[in-house]
Amino acid sequence: MPSFSGGVVGGGVGGPASAPPRPFRPSRYVPVSAATTFLVGSTTLFFCFTCPWLTENISSVIPIYVAVIFLFTLANFCMATFMDPGVFPRAEEDEDKEDDFRAPLYKTVEIRNIQVRMKWCGTCRFYRPPRCSHCSVCDNCVEDFDHHCPWVNNCIGRRNYRYFFLFLLSLTTHIMDVFGFGLVYVLHHPQELDTPHAAVTMAVMCVAGLFFVPVAGLTGFHIVLVARGRTTNEQVTGKFRGGVNPFTRGCWRNISHVLCSPQAPRYMGRWWNRHAVEIQPPFLRPALTEAQLEAKILDNGIQNDRHSTRSKSSLDQMESQSADMEAPPPPKPDFRYPGLPRADTEASSLLSEAPPTPLMYKYRPAYSSPGKNHAAVTHPNKMTRGESLDSQSPSILQSSRQPSYRSEPSSLDGATVVGRGVGVRRGGGDRGEGPGGPGGIAAVVSGGVSGYSLTGRSYTSYPSSLVLSAGGSRSSSLRSAQTVHNPLATLQSEGTTDTSYKSLANQTPRNGSLSYDSLLTPSESPEFESAAHELSPLRPHAPLPSPAGSGRPGAASPGSPLQGYTSPFLSAQIAQQREGQLLQGSTTFSSPHRAYLRAVSPPPSSPPGPPEAQHLLHHNQNPTSRIPRNPSSSSSSPGARSLDPPVSPPPRGLSLSKSPVHIGETGSRHKPRPAGLGAVLGGGGVGGGQQAPQSTSRPVLANHTTSKPVGGVKKVTGVGGTTYEISV
Amino acid sequence: MKGFFPTSTDGNMATEFHNLQELRHSASLANKVFIQRDYSEGTTCRFQTKFPSELESRIERTLFEDTVKTLNNFYAEAEKIGGQSYLEGCLACATAYLIFLCMETRYEKVLKKIAKYIQEQNEKIYAPRGLLITDPIERGMRVIEISIYEDRGSSGSSSGSSSVSDSTAR
Repeated sequence: MPSFSGGVVGGGVGGPASAPPRPFRPSRYVPVSAATTFLVGSTTLFFCFTCPWLTENISSVIPIYVAVIFLFTLANFCMATFMDPGVFPRAEEDEDKEDDFRAPLYKTVEIRNIQVRMKWCGTCRFYRPPRCSHCSVCDNCVEDFDHHCPWVNNCIGRRNYRYFFLFLLSLTTHIMDVFGFGLVYVLHHPQELDTPHAAVTMAVMCVAGLFFVPVAGLTGFHIVLVARGRTTNEQVTGKFRGGVNPFTRGCWRNISHVLCSPQAPRYMGRWWNRHAVEIQPPFLRPALTEAQLEAKILDNGIQNDRHSTRSKSSLDQMESQSADMEAPPPPKPDFRYPGLPRADTEASSLLSEAPPTPLMYKYRPAYSSPGKNHAAVTHPNKMTRGESLDSQSPSILQSSRQPSYRSEPSSLDGATVVGRGVGVRRGGGDRGEGPGGPGGIAAVVSGGVSGYSLTGRSYTSYPSSLVLSAGGSRSSSLRSAQTVHNPLATLQSEGTTDTSYKSLANQTPRNGSLSYDSLLTPSESPEFESAAHELSPLRPHAPLPSPAGSGRPGAASPGSPLQGYTSPFLSAQIAQQREGQLLQGSTTFSSPHRAYLRAVSPPPSSPPGPPEAQHLLHHNQNPTSRIPRNPSSSSSSPGARSLDPPVSPPPRGLSLSKSPVHIGETGSRHKPRPAGLGAVLGGGGVGGGQQAPQSTSRPVLANHTTSKPVGGVKKVTGVGGTTYEISV
Repeated sequence: MKGFFPTSTDGNMATEFHNLQELRHSASLANKVFIQRDYSEGTTCRFQTKFPSELESRIERTLFEDTVKTLNNFYAEAEKIGGQSYLEGCLACATAYLIFLCMETRYEKVLKKIAKYIQEQNEKIYAPRGLLITDPIERGMRVIEISIYEDRGSSGSSSGSSSVSDSTAR
């Protein structure tokens, strides 16, 4: 089948919010032309050669009936072919002001108590809503993406799934009718088979019979999907193999949703009558209530120092949480865009599940652009600059440990962190904090710069996905806070996995489909949790906020050791921000890593451990040898979008973080890490789909899950590498 | 030019002889807040009603929450699976979907109501506070974008008119 064109290569940004113009590829139209030809041609021949006799000798209703079915089939075919499946317009730049380099690749949301991760789409520049996927053929993100059907040369998504489904049903019926009536004709003319009528009838029957098998098979498949409330994409990637589908409402309701729901609106090509609204100062302001005034006083006063009012609100959350923040958070927005108010980005606000829209707490240095990502990653020098923070870092790490953990995400997106004690912890884990965590402190001390940025990256991708909202926040923390918080920690050598960062995603032509992050299976997140939990005792500071939603253990704030994990961009940032802001960030970073590490340590499956350590150390030396994202990984097949090719980078990232971690580790707790990490790495590979490492990660996960001190969350892992956490 | 009688001004410096335009303050886009979708109940369209911290000093919490809740109600009404949507589907099938050429679907009707509501909210509540809500449909229903404007002081230039809404440029 095929004629899949490879899709647009490097499609640039066309209109402000529309897909870029794509080159004309005639090969894409072959299947749809063939399908149309067969359908219309065969039916026409049937009507011309077979129907007259049937009408006279059997019944005159036959042609009417067949015609009705045929028209219905044709109408549904046309709707499935020409209707916009639910394409999302490209996000505007304002929505994502975050430095791509630091943005986490996944954000997690909770749907009916099940964690679902949203992946960053580099092409469309937003975090894909649940069930949305990017089609490489059409180069668009499609809502409720089912698959790309070559026979209709269109994606099947929310808006046209119903028509596609009806098309399949009616086509099956039509094929059966044509075949059946042709058979009746042939059986009544056994001696006239050499006449043209009979010959044509038999030819039509052959075509019908030939197409009946695949069409009926596909129809049956979709009937099952509709009944189960799944999309083809989800089915093929095995997202819900564990049996938990957050989108199903029961068989009957699923069917009625497909067939009877209102026609969804299209997002593209809308031309609303925009009436200009005049905005003229002076502006009304609400009176500050007593409580608000008090709240402002109570926060640790850092905000007052901030001249940038924009980040104030975001800082509020962060700062109130991190009472021990020692240095006023840097006026991040100004660093990056001096003079330009820091806008809250859409992406950042996604980090919190139900949080107030966070204002991105930008720690970032003035990175110029996505191109920087690579630069940051491959400049260990920058890391060294961060080392200067060492002197302060220990104390900061100490104090900020917990807060950093928490605040980090919050810094990134305000609310996320604060409330999410759980999330924070987790986030730390998934960001790659695990490996970086323990290393964080060590890194601080030793100034291990190398893998800093790298590690952060790799973790971001998977942990965040699984981790719940907190994870999201964590990931965001990676984005900016990390660099600030734990420059040293992150320096650890995390193998930066390109996939884990938005920036990387944005740079590849097929960003949407990059699935490196899948390597970091969500399954690992639970490990983070436990890790974080265990790490929490290390924190001298404030009690971690109770986990939000996920029931995870409050641990949180992983100690600085994990910091190193934080991320590659830290290095760059360190260069720029050597003040307290870095300190703040560092703490946070460490925790996630630590959490992560801890998660892996408990499981007894340690075979990968020692080799992992070696591997990690090796990788540490070679931060730049990261495997570049492979654009081709984006599967062109409809269902395979979510499949992530096995990519080494993520594991590398893990390994990188691991080594520093071990260096920094002081407690016995950390010992088992290598083994655990190995397992985790295996888990990382899961994303891609079925790989050997997956199996290793599974047992780890299993162990981890069972050993989790705090219950309330059950993790279900899908084959596709997606892990869903269900709050119990 | 000086000597120009300030017939109607913003109220500030009303007694001074200034160019009328100089007396007008301009607003410029300072920040954008994005209200994310609330997926806790699945993929039905709902937005988070949590009050973003950036708006704390700009608008009362209740007003904001009312707006978002009303929008959520609109969307729930649009996506409701009931008798009307079923009949609409049957009619569409019966006419081989040609009915879509003439008739507006229920969802589209509700979207028009939503657009009107947002326009009205902007005019009455948000613009006076230096805020502007962008219809989420323009963002693919992923976020509600609220633009925050700051008073940049008197512009003194001929282009000192107020800024226009629609911060989103498509």
